[in-house]
Amino acid sequence: MATQIVMDRTGDTRHNFDAKNADALAKAEERFRALTGAGFTAAVRTSSGEPVVKRTFDPNAEETLFFPRLVGG
Amino acid sequence: MFRQLLRNAKERLRLFLSECRRRARVLRERLRQQPDRTNPSSRFVPGFLHGYGAREARGFELLKEWLSPEQLAQYQARSYFDVTGCHSGKRYRISHGNSMNIHELDGAGRPRFGWCFAPKGYLVAGDVMLAQKIALETDERGALAVANKFSVPTGRRNTLFDC
Repeated sequence: MATQIVMDRTGDTRHNFDAKNADALAKAEERFRALTGAGFTAAVRTSSGEPVVKRTFDPNAEETLFFPRLVGG
Repeated sequence: MFRQLLRNAKERLRLFLSECRRRARVLRERLRQQPDRTNPSSRFVPGFLHGYGAREARGFELLKEWLSPEQLAQYQARSYFDVTGCHSGKRYRISHGNSMNIHELDGAGRPRFGWCFAPKGYLVAGDVMLAQKIALETDERGALAVANKFSVPTGRRNTLFDC
């Protein structure tokens, strides 16, 4: 089961989906595009635990984290 | 003459205290009629603080999952963790908080400047710190391009940075 975690004002929203299911994968890709299009940054962790930013949808990613656009404080 | 003055002063004091009691009663009544002033939903952004504790805890769980073992140990011991900028190799210290919580360190581990940036919107501290960590480790230039720089007081001892 793969997960997309979206940071938002409710804490974080988790979308679990079966990466082997074509429909679920298509929905996850659509969500990825919608979020990154809205300014969110998508990041995944490598096997060694380092974060990597993803510009395109990775169907093999087990966990993708989305955080909103950065602004100066 | 003196007795007359004393009597006048006594009467004025009585009136003054009576007025104070009346005002205190009115104020007490007003406060009682107000809705719960600590009601979280009535502060800042409607609904933001509702369930804040649970969301805060979830944010920290997520942060802990994404920290390296060294960063996690450092955070648990000192409420801050260090990251290395992906472009410059500089070290930054992210302290517990939502804003003005990033310090660029010099070679000796002392703070040189502060940087302030955060994800847009109302996020809990754990989420903010995680976004700051990922940004510095994957797109340092992009993060600092939007950040505001602030000076760090050097005149007084800052116990946060005692290693």
